Amino acid sequence: MWINYLKIAFRNLIKHKLYALINILGLAIGIASFILIWLYIIDELSYDRYHEHAKNTYRLVNVYDFEGVGENSASSPFPVAWTLKSDYPDIIQNVTRVFNRQAPRTLIDNEFVSYNERHFFFADSTFFQIFDHEFIMGNPNTALDEINSVVITESTAKRYFKDENPMGKTIRIEKMLDLKVTGVIKDVPHNSHFTFDFMASLSTMRKPYGGQLPRTWVWNPCWTYLVLKEGTAKTLEKSFPAYINKYFYDAEKENVTLYLQPLVDIHLKSKLDYEIEPNSNITYIKILGVIAVFLLIIAIINYINLATATSAGRAYEIGIKKVFGAFRSQLVYQFLMESVILSLIALFVSLFIIELLLPHLNNFSGKELQIGILIQPVYAAILLMIGIGTGLLAGLYPALYLSVFNPIMALNNKLSKATKGGLGRKTLVVIQFVISIVLIIITLHIYEQVNYFKNADTGFDKENIVIIPISGTTISRAYEPFKEELLQNPNIQSVTAMDDMLGVAHNTHEFRPEGFPEDKWSFYPALVIRYDFLETFGIKLVAGRDYSEEMKTDPEKGMLINESMVRHVGWKSNEEAIGKKFRSLQGEERVIGVFADFNATSLHEPAGPFVLNIKETPGVIVFFLKYVAIKVADQNKEETIAFIESKWNEKEQGRPFEYNWFDQELAQLYNDEEVLGDLSLILTAIIIFIAALGLYGLVSFMAAQRTREIGIRKVFGAEQGSIMVLLSVEFMKLVGIAILIAWPLSYLLIDEWLNYFAYQMNIDTLSFVIGALAAFAIAMLITNSRAYIVARTNPVNTLKYE
Amino acid sequence: MIKTVNLTKVFRTDEVETTALNNISIEIKKGEFVAVMGPSGCGKSTLLNILGLLDTPTKGDFYFLDENVAGYSERQRARLRKHNIGFVFQNFNLIDQLNVFENVELPLIYLRMSAKERKEKVHEALEIMQIAHRVKHYPNQLSGGQQQRVAVARAVVSKPHFILADEPTGNLDSKHGDEVMRLLSGLNEKGTTIIMVTHSQRDAEYSHRIIHLFDGQVLSENVK
Repeated sequence: MWINYLKIAFRNLIKHKLYALINILGLAIGIASFILIWLYIIDELSYDRYHEHAKNTYRLVNVYDFEGVGENSASSPFPVAWTLKSDYPDIIQNVTRVFNRQAPRTLIDNEFVSYNERHFFFADSTFFQIFDHEFIMGNPNTALDEINSVVITESTAKRYFKDENPMGKTIRIEKMLDLKVTGVIKDVPHNSHFTFDFMASLSTMRKPYGGQLPRTWVWNPCWTYLVLKEGTAKTLEKSFPAYINKYFYDAEKENVTLYLQPLVDIHLKSKLDYEIEPNSNITYIKILGVIAVFLLIIAIINYINLATATSAGRAYEIGIKKVFGAFRSQLVYQFLMESVILSLIALFVSLFIIELLLPHLNNFSGKELQIGILIQPVYAAILLMIGIGTGLLAGLYPALYLSVFNPIMALNNKLSKATKGGLGRKTLVVIQFVISIVLIIITLHIYEQVNYFKNADTGFDKENIVIIPISGTTISRAYEPFKEELLQNPNIQSVTAMDDMLGVAHNTHEFRPEGFPEDKWSFYPALVIRYDFLETFGIKLVAGRDYSEEMKTDPEKGMLINESMVRHVGWKSNEEAIGKKFRSLQGEERVIGVFADFNATSLHEPAGPFVLNIKETPGVIVFFLKYVAIKVADQNKEETIAFIESKWNEKEQGRPFEYNWFDQELAQLYNDEEVLGDLSLILTAIIIFIAALGLYGLVSFMAAQRTREIGIRKVFGAEQGSIMVLLSVEFMKLVGIAILIAWPLSYLLIDEWLNYFAYQMNIDTLSFVIGALAAFAIAMLITNSRAYIVARTNPVNTLKYE
Repeated sequence: MIKTVNLTKVFRTDEVETTALNNISIEIKKGEFVAVMGPSGCGKSTLLNILGLLDTPTKGDFYFLDENVAGYSERQRARLRKHNIGFVFQNFNLIDQLNVFENVELPLIYLRMSAKERKEKVHEALEIMQIAHRVKHYPNQLSGGQQQRVAVARAVVSKPHFILADEPTGNLDSKHGDEVMRLLSGLNEKGTTIIMVTHSQRDAEYSHRIIHLFDGQVLSENVK
């Protein structure tokens, strides 16, 4: 009996090759996409969870709020970690600080090689007790105990020491300090909120800071992680106000709040100032998740739809079987079995598709997703459930429905009247088109928003500016001569320096504007700069004057503020602000110029009060010079870069030259949106493809139902064109309904999404039209390609069996 | 008016070749009422399909209103068909979704007639077929005889030169069958040429001439 079922199942597949192909392919693509997104989401949710104490590990966040200006800092002052630990020993089990000297690059060399390293950190010796990393050599409990010790990753060891044993060997940082390798760990897993290649003992930094680590409560450069006793986070947070009161400076107490951020939330939920690495965004993960589920549902319903549509043609077979004694239950089994076989084939095909696409997805997302995870019992069970469940659902309707038919009716092929069920199918088509249109419109908007960001007027020039990181370099200690030499080249138009990347990040500095109460100090967003900053970046001066090297008092006494600052303080005009005083840590500074607002960070955030300041105190100036920005002519760029490199090499023996184009640095701010745009483009294409398959099936089904009617119409003079119109009009109506639903829905969704950005493009009506036209075009193409075949059929063939 | 010369129709599937019509040469004059008879599978319906411009011959010539249409395309045949031929089928072939009026109106729509003109003509045809009182009904609300009268009304509504009837009484009892035959006969008297395929000697009696087919060939032509 079962053999007979199987035989019929496979012969049916072969007989209805096209349907089988459409059906298997549609479901396989649906399942494959769903699993790929699923793997992606599992990975996104897995960040930092591999540490044993992950659940009880928190990062301390510092919020400085001075009436709307200030910062949400992911890092804390030096003394915080250990004073907390000693004040709350019953709650806090362990602490560690991570510190990178706020330097974007660290020069590392040994006798063989030298590199500008981006992933160099210092940490307390407790680091490897909190963060679990697999030691290939060395002891995690003691590796960072000594000063001048460093733990490196496996691939870093290869880079610096080839195949030699690195243990006990030294590397030199910034050509000043030798560090001894005391441990080698496996490379940091990609699902970590930050990766490092080097982790050196923080005690090493005591010497450069004069014997002990900084004790200031203002400077907050240490990412501070705490391991708490289970369930004590709330208790600890309650005691923070008392803690702040005990330690923080009086001027800050009122304005500082501390809170705990769960380690496992950092990757998806954290968007603070001074993040170690940019994080992902939970909203985007949710969007992807919703799309994935939609995709699977559409694929499954489509499959059911197509399967039931084809089954109507099997009435004859059912009739014969019943006449010769088949029980209803046997017919039900047969249908279910066929359908499950088909869906399992689809599941199998989908695994091939995944295997094929996974390397591309990894390449594109920078992840290391593996299909192997699906072998785990839980995932394998879910997969099998999707496969079998889809098959059962798809088989159930025809199984129960067709098996009840009276054999005489079935034999006489009188089922077409009974198998209409049109409303359900039409609803499905409408839903599919709604989803497709919405996705087209949203995808277009995501791309447009990214473009808008990239091309938006941020208030400064982005083109033809070269950025060179210089922290810790010889050049940072002798910047002015380097600048002079660069300006000798006619292709170099202007040179300046800054302590953070304009448009990406900035620090905050403490000021008290004139007229504010004695105790009212605020931390204002600021960049420390060198001369010619406004000129290099094309920032407009709206009142007063720029810094001038002629004016000897400018560095100590002069400052530039933006228009928002003028409004923030309450001065009536930009001109009125000139000459006004700000108290600063250096004493008193006067406003010498007001510049037009620019966007100091990404366009996710609005522009606010801002200060540009030159600092010239020896020692301080070196610390604040982290990037040189060079405006170059549009022509001969390669030669200009070569010239800059030659000047670099004259000054920095052995330190690799590194440069970036400013516009490319800025574009990285919108990587999230770009990836989201690309992903949603791909998913939209897939959903449209599956929807198209479904539509094709449905059109075929409806055409088959109307074969007789079409035949009659043709006998009485209908030409091909009018038959095609007859068949397509119905679907065009459905697409029309879908558009009416999709437009307002898209509008709401896009409006919601755009709210996330401080600077939004306008909602683009053209993309609504494009979405609608695309849906029409797709529907036309599919219905007409099918209707064409039907319309050409000779009525003699369709009528003669009646 | 209609003339076939050595008309042959061969059906081919992957492995089998069936000759449905074999060198048929017949002529039908204007105003004639011809019955085609023969056992199942003798090629009656195939002949009717070709004469009705629904199908094309494999070989031979077919003169329709003095034009050789044997090689005509589907589009050309459709044009000729809708202006000249009305069909009546054994199983009526009414469209279930359309009511009586709409079913009869169908050929006129494809002739691109105005709505007003269509209305007049449909009512006229329904009057003649004595079914005008059922104009709003759907086919499944009518008896077999009524359905066939609607079908005949649809066949004549465009005033075609020919009516091709394929076993028009096959699904009817004798009373309703006679009724339909009298209607066809009446149309013929008013000048419409009728070609009818039938199994029924009784129906064939209404015709002027009976063509007997056997295995795709003309066995005899009995002129009465």
